[in-house]
Amino acid sequence: MSGYRFDRLKILVVDDNQHMRKLVVTILQAFGAIQIFEAPNGERAWAQLREINPDVVLLDWQMDGMSGVEFAHLVRTSPQSPNPFLPIIMLTGHTHVDHVRQARDAGVNEFLAKPVSVKAVFTRLVSVIEHPRPFVRTKTYFGPCRRRRGSDEYRGPERRNLCEPTALDDEPTHQNKLAERTP
Amino acid sequence: MSKQPTEVFMPPNMLKAKVGGTIQGLDMAAIQRAEAAMETLKEEFTDWIAADIARLGMAYDGFAANRNKSTADDLFRASHDLKGQAATFEYPFIARVASSLCKLIDELKSHEALPATLLEAHVNAIRVIFRDNIKSTSNFTALTLVEELEARVREALERAAHTL
Repeated sequence: MSGYRFDRLKILVVDDNQHMRKLVVTILQAFGAIQIFEAPNGERAWAQLREINPDVVLLDWQMDGMSGVEFAHLVRTSPQSPNPFLPIIMLTGHTHVDHVRQARDAGVNEFLAKPVSVKAVFTRLVSVIEHPRPFVRTKTYFGPCRRRRGSDEYRGPERRNLCEPTALDDEPTHQNKLAERTP
Repeated sequence: MSKQPTEVFMPPNMLKAKVGGTIQGLDMAAIQRAEAAMETLKEEFTDWIAADIARLGMAYDGFAANRNKSTADDLFRASHDLKGQAATFEYPFIARVASSLCKLIDELKSHEALPATLLEAHVNAIRVIFRDNIKSTSNFTALTLVEELEARVREALERAAHTL
């Protein structure tokens, strides 16, 4: 048995390709997940967020209609978003660094390049469970911290201390949890 | 430089609270179960990739009959799916040809400038690799074909860059 109770998680798989959905769902079931929901496009996924309140989303980028990046942006910034902190793992055939940057700027937690492998899916899930990134809110961005993990080589003054933290306008339950670091 | 208000905070780790436990590195039992489950899917892979190739063919026909942004987007999405999935479905050369096709469509930007013969060559190459069931990356003929297509795409992109 896995050390995790994946059966307790509600996982939403968003991909317009039914074969890829079946592949990912099969992998998740083998990990022990049983509450798996599927959406064939971003619009349906957006509606399902309210219906099922998933704990994590595995999201394709390239879809007809709303793209994965647009969906992620909506989750993070829309006033209608039921959970702006929802962990999002993006699965995509895009592999160029510009695409990784776009996904990161949309608020994606983890990036997983296709072809999908069992180990890669597992590793990304472990990553959002064990090593969640702090969230950052600036004038132009809201989402997981975009710094690369382990980028502690910077030895200058603490850059975020140059700015005064401000209270969240629309998330009062989290406004006092400032600057708590990941282990 | 102007100061920009920045807030950094750690939301409660609801995932960790739900799944409990701890995993150091990989859970090999879970990995093995999932890999075994993937094995059982393999007999469906041929049908799946056949469906994806048929979709690519339809997208190409649609684009050839009516060149516009919508049909170009359909063609890109169909090739992008193959780029991402064909290797999983055990056709690495199809993934590579599809990747070359994606690069052409994506980087050329203008659908009007997409060279019809080069698009068709990619679609036909994918069909032939599938028809001949070429799954090994050591197949010399397929490798030559793929490298030739990639070179032609580079040339087309360079030509387009020079005409800008």
